Amino acid sequence: MKYTTTLGDKAHEIDINVEGEVIADGQRLSVDFQSVADQPIYSLIINGKSYEASVFTSEAGIDVLLQGRLFQVTVEEERQKRLRESSSALATQEGEYNLKAPMPGLVISIPVQEGQAVQLGDNLVILESMKMQNELKAPREGTVGRIRVKAGDSVDQNQALLTLA
Amino acid sequence: MFNKVLVANRGEIAVRIIRACRELGMSTVAVYSDADRSALHVRQADEAYLLGPAPSRESYLRGDKIIDIAKRSGSGGIHPGYGFLAERDDFAQAVEDAGLVFIGPRPSNIAAMGDKAVARATVAAAGVPVVPGTEGEGNLRDEELLTLGPQIGFPLLIKATAGGGGKGMREVGRLEDMPGLLHAARREAEAAFGDGNVYLEKLLLDARHIEFQILADGHGSVIHLGERECSLQRRHQKLLEEVPSPFVDQDLRERMGELACRAARSVDYFNAGTIEFLVDSEKNFFFLEMNTRLQVEHPVTEMVTGIDIVKEQIRIARGRKLRYSQEDIQLNGWAIECRINAEDPYNNFMPSTGYISSVMMPSGPGVRVDTGVYAGFTITPYYDALISKLICWGETRGEAILRMRRALEEFRILGVKTNIPFHQTVLDSPRFIAGQFDTRFVEERFTMNGDDERREDLELIASVMATLVAHRETQEAAQIVRRGTRDTSNWKWVGRWERMHR
Repeated sequence: MKYTTTLGDKAHEIDINVEGEVIADGQRLSVDFQSVADQPIYSLIINGKSYEASVFTSEAGIDVLLQGRLFQVTVEEERQKRLRESSSALATQEGEYNLKAPMPGLVISIPVQEGQAVQLGDNLVILESMKMQNELKAPREGTVGRIRVKAGDSVDQNQALLTLA
Repeated sequence: MFNKVLVANRGEIAVRIIRACRELGMSTVAVYSDADRSALHVRQADEAYLLGPAPSRESYLRGDKIIDIAKRSGSGGIHPGYGFLAERDDFAQAVEDAGLVFIGPRPSNIAAMGDKAVARATVAAAGVPVVPGTEGEGNLRDEELLTLGPQIGFPLLIKATAGGGGKGMREVGRLEDMPGLLHAARREAEAAFGDGNVYLEKLLLDARHIEFQILADGHGSVIHLGERECSLQRRHQKLLEEVPSPFVDQDLRERMGELACRAARSVDYFNAGTIEFLVDSEKNFFFLEMNTRLQVEHPVTEMVTGIDIVKEQIRIARGRKLRYSQEDIQLNGWAIECRINAEDPYNNFMPSTGYISSVMMPSGPGVRVDTGVYAGFTITPYYDALISKLICWGETRGEAILRMRRALEEFRILGVKTNIPFHQTVLDSPRFIAGQFDTRFVEERFTMNGDDERREDLELIASVMATLVAHRETQEAAQIVRRGTRDTSNWKWVGRWERMHR
C-alpha cells in the first residue's frame, strides 16, 4: 500500500508491500518493526540501525516521541488522499470551537459570559487540577456561545465546557 | 524512644521515608486517602490506615486523624515529608502535645521561619541580607499592598505567606495588573494552604536560586551540607537541581554556608532545613526563605555528600548528636536531579492524569530513581504532578549530564504525558551545558522542538514508524471485519480442513 506521510512541511511517499521492507521516497529499506510488550512502544531496526519510540495515534494524527523529540505526523493512504482532495473543494465550514477540559478537575471560575466577544489568549475557564489553577485560554477571537458548566462543577477529561463561535 | 514511624504523606516522598525507616530497623505506618488505596507507600508500609476522601483537606491535611492513628497504632514518631502538614507549627505542636515525636523542626522554628515575614525580620537582625519586600509587616490588605507595590518597584512578586512550591505566587509587571493578580494569588493560596495571606517581594533579574542544606542536632551543632543549584524553574516551580552549583566557588560556598548556619542559629533551629538564597550576577546574595522541612531535591545532596538526610532526621529526632562536623563534609563529584512530572511539555505543561500502563525505570551506574508510581497505578487530579525523581551522579558535571541524558532516554512511562522530553531538551541545550542560566531561562530563552541537527536525521525514521503503525492499524481493522464470516476460528477451520483432506 502506498502512503503519503507528512511531517511539518515535508511529505514522504512510503510504500509498504512485503514483510520486512519499506520503500521510502523510492529508497528500498530493510525493516524489522515490532511493538514492545504489547505497549505503544515500538522497536524499529532499519538497515541495521535500532530505534525505539513511543507512538500514539489520535484524531489529529500520529505522535512519535523519539529520542526526546516529538514528531507530529499525518499518514494518508493514497486512496484516502485522492478522496479528500476531490471533496475538499466542497468543505467550507468555519466551525465552532468546542473548549473541552484537558484533564479532570474542578471549575474555579468562568470569567466570560454567553455572547461575550473575546480575543485570542483571553481566559475562558479557570480549572483546578493537581493543586494548580490552569487558565484555559481562547485559541482565537470569537464570541462565547453556550457555557455548559458553572463554578464549583467537577468535570471529567474531554468534557465540553463551552463553545466559541 | 520511638521505633515505629507514621509517615504523614503520600507519593515518592512517603516511599523515600519508608526506605529510611526500614534501613534503621523501624516499622512504618502509612496513611492514605480513598484515591490512594493502591499507592506504593500503602503497599510498602508495615501498616496502613485510611484517612478519608480524596481531597487533601479531608485526608492528608487532617492532622487530628493522623495523630489519632499514630496513637492507636503505637507510632512514637511522625514524619511529615514535604507539603501537606510539614510546615504547620500547630500540627507539630499537636504532635508534641500528644506525647509523640515530630520528625522535623520544633514548632517554634516552623512558626519563626514558616511565616516568611517573621523569618526575614529574624535573619536580618542576625546580619543576613534579605531581598526588599513587605516582609515582617504582617498580613496586609490589598489597598496597603497596592500602595507599597510602587515603592518596592516593578517587576515584583506576590507570594503566599504560608506557601511554597510556586503556589499562590504571581508576577506583577505593572500596577494596573496588580489587583487582579492579588485576587488570583489569594484564591490559590487559600485553596492550597488554607491561608490567603500574601506579601510582596522585589523580583531580582538574572538571579540564581541557590540553597543550603542545614542539619542541626539540638546539642549546639549546626552544619551545612553545601549548596544546591535550583535556578532551573518554570513559573517558580523547580524542575532540575544540581550540586555543586556551576556558579559557586569555594570562597562563595564558605561565605554563604556560614551565613546559612547563622540564619538557622538565629531561631535555635533543630533537625534538617534549607536556607534559600537569591544570588545576582555580581555574586551578591540575599536570604529568600527557610524551608523548615525535608526538600524534594534532597537526594542530590545525598549523592555528593554520602549522607542519608532522612536517616539523619530520624536520628536527630531521637536525640542523637550529629556524627559529622563541618570539616567532615566534602562534596564528591556532581549530581543532577530531574523532577518527572505528569504534565505535557508540548501543551503548556498541562497536568496529565490517567492509568499508567507501563513503566520502564532507568538503572545502571550512578542512577537513582525515587518514585511513587508503578505500572497499573492511576494518577488522579487530587495531588501534585510530581511522580518520580531521577537523580544521576558523575565524577564531573560533564559525566553527570551525559549519564542523565542516557537515563532519561531509558525512562519510559506510558499512559500519562510526562515532562521527560523537556529535560532531554534542557540537557541538550548549549546554555545549560555551559552553566549559563538563571531563574528565567525556561520562560525566556527556551523552546521545545527547536531545530537541531539530530532532529533532521530522525525525521525520516519518525515518518517510517508512523506509517508502519498506521499500516498495522489498517490491517488489523480489516481483519476484525473479516472475522465472524465463519462461525468458528480460522485456525480451527484450517485444522478441520486438513484432517478432511488427509
